[in-house]
Amino acid sequence: MMATKRHVSVSIGLIIALLLAACGAPQTQTPTAAPAPTSAPAPTSAPEPTRAPDGAVVTATPGLNIDMILLPKFLGIAVFDQANEGAQEAHAELRNQGKLIFTGPTAENSVAGQIETLTNAATQGVKAVMLSNNAGDQIAAAAQAAQQAGVTVVTWDSPIPSAQGETVFVAQVDFNETGRVMADMALSILGPQGGEFAILSASPDAANQNAWIAAMKEVLKEPKYANLKLVDTVYGNDQSEESYKQALALVDKHPNLKLIMAPTTVGIAAAAKAMTDEGLCDRVKVSGLGLPAEMASYTLSGCAPQFALWSFKDLGYLTYYLTYGLATGQLKGVEGERFNAGRMGTYTIEKDPTRPKGLRVLMGPFTVYTAENVNK
Amino acid sequence: MPANLRRLIGWEGLLLCVLAFVVVMNTNLAPAYLSLANQINLFQLSIEKIIVALVMTFVIINGEIDLSVASVMGLAACLVAVLFESGTPMALAILAALLVGALCGAFNGFWVAYVGLPSLAVTLAGMIGFRGVARILIEDRSIGGFPEWFTALGQQPLIGPFPLSLILFALLFVLAFVILQFSGVGRLIYVVGNNAAVARYSGIDTRRLKLGIFIASGLIASLAGILLAARLGAVRGNTAEGFELDIITMVLLGGVSIFGGTGNLAGVGLAILVILNLRNGMSLLNVTGNVQTGVIGMLLILSVLIPNLAQMANERLQRRIAPRKEAPIETESSVSS
Repeated sequence: MMATKRHVSVSIGLIIALLLAACGAPQTQTPTAAPAPTSAPAPTSAPEPTRAPDGAVVTATPGLNIDMILLPKFLGIAVFDQANEGAQEAHAELRNQGKLIFTGPTAENSVAGQIETLTNAATQGVKAVMLSNNAGDQIAAAAQAAQQAGVTVVTWDSPIPSAQGETVFVAQVDFNETGRVMADMALSILGPQGGEFAILSASPDAANQNAWIAAMKEVLKEPKYANLKLVDTVYGNDQSEESYKQALALVDKHPNLKLIMAPTTVGIAAAAKAMTDEGLCDRVKVSGLGLPAEMASYTLSGCAPQFALWSFKDLGYLTYYLTYGLATGQLKGVEGERFNAGRMGTYTIEKDPTRPKGLRVLMGPFTVYTAENVNK
Repeated sequence: MPANLRRLIGWEGLLLCVLAFVVVMNTNLAPAYLSLANQINLFQLSIEKIIVALVMTFVIINGEIDLSVASVMGLAACLVAVLFESGTPMALAILAALLVGALCGAFNGFWVAYVGLPSLAVTLAGMIGFRGVARILIEDRSIGGFPEWFTALGQQPLIGPFPLSLILFALLFVLAFVILQFSGVGRLIYVVGNNAAVARYSGIDTRRLKLGIFIASGLIASLAGILLAARLGAVRGNTAEGFELDIITMVLLGGVSIFGGTGNLAGVGLAILVILNLRNGMSLLNVTGNVQTGVIGMLLILSVLIPNLAQMANERLQRRIAPRKEAPIETESSVSS
């Protein structure tokens, strides 16, 4: 009996600890103070209007009344807040009489939470959901059900891999180009003699991350990159602390490691901090996709000499214009359709080369940041 | 009967009040809340968790805990997916996953009941171990493309507007209610949960009982995992990860004591309704995930504090009243302020 009592109190302690851990986790994410990097090279080199099929460019009639939800992977990540800024800007420009709601799940509850929001969107009479998918194909059934209930589902940042339940995906940059940009940065940091490097990604099921990594592996096969040796791929789940630990673990595991490539803004900042804290910057460099505001000090210190990104604000803005057009029926969501996206110019809905059944709108272009332009 | 009356104004009564409050708020604030479709969605979005919460009630009342349920769910889902992918007929894959779930439960039950290890340690190991097996099976991939009848069972209505999982939950709830509250086995579960040693000395085979409950826990968890796979239509290594905390939360909020021996399924049923309706209402009002977690967390804290504070207040009251009346059993009335 005494023994049981003790077990029970241990149990309670553990459960409370688990609960606390569960509650505490989200607060450990990167603070969102990062100002938008809009001053960075503006997309004046407007994406070439891929030769128009017949049919004119659709300019959506403003002033209609539709409720829309912008649904990020989860809350508390700076880039998603920036995407929201862009969407709000477009929302105001188009004078939508309805609401634009920015809501999302917690990181631990991301999959179930995204499915819940999508399901309830139909119930509430919301007309469109803009989704940065974090659930892989597990969300496809809910997305299809929402579409059947009359909700327009547009993905941005990260698509539904099977494209089921999704009308169009707004791709930030060409996924193959991401692979090449990462390979080029690795080559320019490590030099022609090359060396070992590892990838620190977000979650194993983030479709965008996986596509970029796959594209990079493809590019690495070219003779030019023969000396770059990818030794490991690890996942920090877009949590600062976890990514930090994973970065240090990589250094321990691979004594000859020279570079950590993190195609996630959370991962690259955590890795750069880890290398800086442990004084490893001379040995191991960091690169990948990062926010200038978060990366500036590491870039100037030489720890992360180069990194790349696109504007998330523009991504939110473009996604909003497309979704507004689709949800109001002014766009049909078919290949070859062209539409006007306010200050960003004209875009075309095209086949997605990375997903057999998917359609996409390609935003582009990339900006590579170095010590020269990181503070501009 | 005074006992019944006390119960009415007791924990279940409190939950009922909270539920009524939530329902009234939801109805007023979210126009879509009362629609049949939403009421079904409300259950459907958490259906796997609430199915497992039923069997978790048995485990906790019996004085144990099962932290491995979510991992068993994940393992069953991954196993079905992997077997199906390698060409096994779906029905066979489902049977295999159920069997493995029961075996996981038997594994837990053996160490707890026959070796005497604390269930917290055993099922914590199970939680990590079974999840590990699931991840080994599926690695970093996601498997989908299940047969249409399988996903239809998870996503489409089966009878009237009700999907299979909801019907299963209703049946299981009635079954669990009858077993726990009205059968001899149910009474044994309470007796053992109250005082395992006394139960053993009175000739009850506590070991078989505990083993049986853990097997049931594994079996139901694997069933829930398969239902989840059917509802989502795709499975990956972290499917159902973290669900155990939500499940245990529901049971504890239902008034089941973590020490075992007390609580009942009516309370757990009410707690399930409170949590699901609260979540649904907040979701319909576009309350963010962070706030939702916070509100549910506060509710749980209050659910731990209120009964204890009430008991303390009650005891103090008793002490004050006791000396005036002829305190029949009161022996230590020396403490008076």
